Amino acid sequence: MDWVFLAELTVNGAITGLSYSLFAIGLVLIYKSSSVPNLAQGGLTMLGAYVVLAFSYELGWPLWVAIPLAAVIMFFVGLGIERVALRRLAGRPIVMILMMTLGIDIFLRGTTLAIWGGAPRPMGLGVSYDPFFVGPLLLSRIHIVGALVAIALFVAFMLFFRSRQGIRLRAISDDYMASWSVGISVERGVGLSWALASVVAVATGVIWGEIQGVDQTLSLLLLKGLTVAVLGGLDSIVGAIVAGILLGIVENVGSGYLDQMVGGGSRDLVVAAVLILTVMLRPHGLFGRHDIERI
Amino acid sequence: MSSEETNSILSLNSIEVLYDSVLLAIKGVSLEVPNGGMVALLGSNGAGKSTTLKAISGLLKSERGRVSRGEIRFDGKIIGDVPPQDRVHMGICHVIEGRRVFEHLTPDENLEAAAPVSMSRQKINDEKARIYEYFPRLAERKASQSGYLSGGEQQMLAIGRALMTQPRLLMLDEPSLGLAPFLVAEIFGILQKINREQGVSILLVEQNALAALEIVSHGYLIENGRVVMHDTAEALKANSDIQEFYLGGGEGKNFHDIKHYRRRKRWLS
Repeated sequence: MDWVFLAELTVNGAITGLSYSLFAIGLVLIYKSSSVPNLAQGGLTMLGAYVVLAFSYELGWPLWVAIPLAAVIMFFVGLGIERVALRRLAGRPIVMILMMTLGIDIFLRGTTLAIWGGAPRPMGLGVSYDPFFVGPLLLSRIHIVGALVAIALFVAFMLFFRSRQGIRLRAISDDYMASWSVGISVERGVGLSWALASVVAVATGVIWGEIQGVDQTLSLLLLKGLTVAVLGGLDSIVGAIVAGILLGIVENVGSGYLDQMVGGGSRDLVVAAVLILTVMLRPHGLFGRHDIERI
Repeated sequence: MSSEETNSILSLNSIEVLYDSVLLAIKGVSLEVPNGGMVALLGSNGAGKSTTLKAISGLLKSERGRVSRGEIRFDGKIIGDVPPQDRVHMGICHVIEGRRVFEHLTPDENLEAAAPVSMSRQKINDEKARIYEYFPRLAERKASQSGYLSGGEQQMLAIGRALMTQPRLLMLDEPSLGLAPFLVAEIFGILQKINREQGVSILLVEQNALAALEIVSHGYLIENGRVVMHDTAEALKANSDIQEFYLGGGEGKNFHDIKHYRRRKRWLS
């Protein structure tokens, strides 16, 4: 057995997985406040990347201006989506809200296709593709950047959820009615979680746009992001990070060996297997919240 | 009468509540809560007590109900269109039925969540300290997960959380539900203390009329969505109908007789 090969697959898997976590954090934010897996998170990620490009590529502004500007714009896009599309669905069956988020995803894909076309564009982050060795291990630089961004956002949100506004958001995710009864604006809280998830989508879009180019396929990250979020427990930020690392390792190591046998293309198979097994064996995920039942 | 009206913090004038635009849940409820007073709203299951409270706090909205007739005045102002969170800012706080604490938050965080957005850090800490003084049991468990508190502790937390909003009118929906009698006595004692010390007016909804009439000055009896009786607590306790239907019957009843002769509630005929 080639230990260096295994170690390389593991470490690269963990780093790639953290970039999935980045996506999953956005899902978790919305799930926490409204108990809906946001199927439009992929569309938001893609839109975030396109908005960055609109400034950097079309207007020629530097990325350090374009990215924060895109984050601000997407913050308001998130607020707007909640206000226009989701608020009126409050209290309706979850499946309606789910269908709405799916509709938004398709809508965003169609809109970006109409405005910017379908040809992949480079993000132009300028991360070097030169080989980067840590000891004997060959690592991917852009994935390391993604992992660092994921960890930074993780820390930021852990702190946020201890702040007063963060506590109110957690209260909302616990009980809408009780939140209203003590004067917490549930609508504003859910709006804020959409806004924050849209900002996370910009970060995800920039990193993944750099990795695979910016086009409509960015929205297909939803499959991996959703798998990570479900494995982590859907409402846990810690879960999103741990599950991202786990899924990345399983995917990379699994497909690293499977591909040699089946001749490639087993990545999605491994991811799908993880999703199916999680739902079958541990529906609350690794860190998911159980409803408390006192006896 | 007019002087009494200006002294009321809350007055309901023959309000009706419709659910889903068809179901009339309450049909003309009028009541008054004097400023700084303590009033009970009594009645059996499904009489319309909770609906009345939700009409006052505005929480009807989330259940697709609305006040279709009559007016609700808080502090002299009509509050028909005010959204629920603004009513809380005005000073109306509704402790909803079934405790409903934020289960995955600690008691301390439950209190923080209910603090008004504009409240300063210093003031929040003062308020929390004051609430822990009323409920020492909560202080002991302030860092544990609220979902695992006992029923009595959760009810205390629900009341403490409501106090955090700085209410002038505290409305409680069945705080005695599912609690042992000694706990009911403890919690009602604290409510009385809060009423006396803070000057918070209290509207108490209860099925447990016996316990409620011990601490309030006035009571309203509601049946099938209508107020059918209104009097001082003393008079209500002495009323034979109330005794029979809500206080567990008169003395020395021969149960054999009841089978043959079931007395009707007079006000329903």
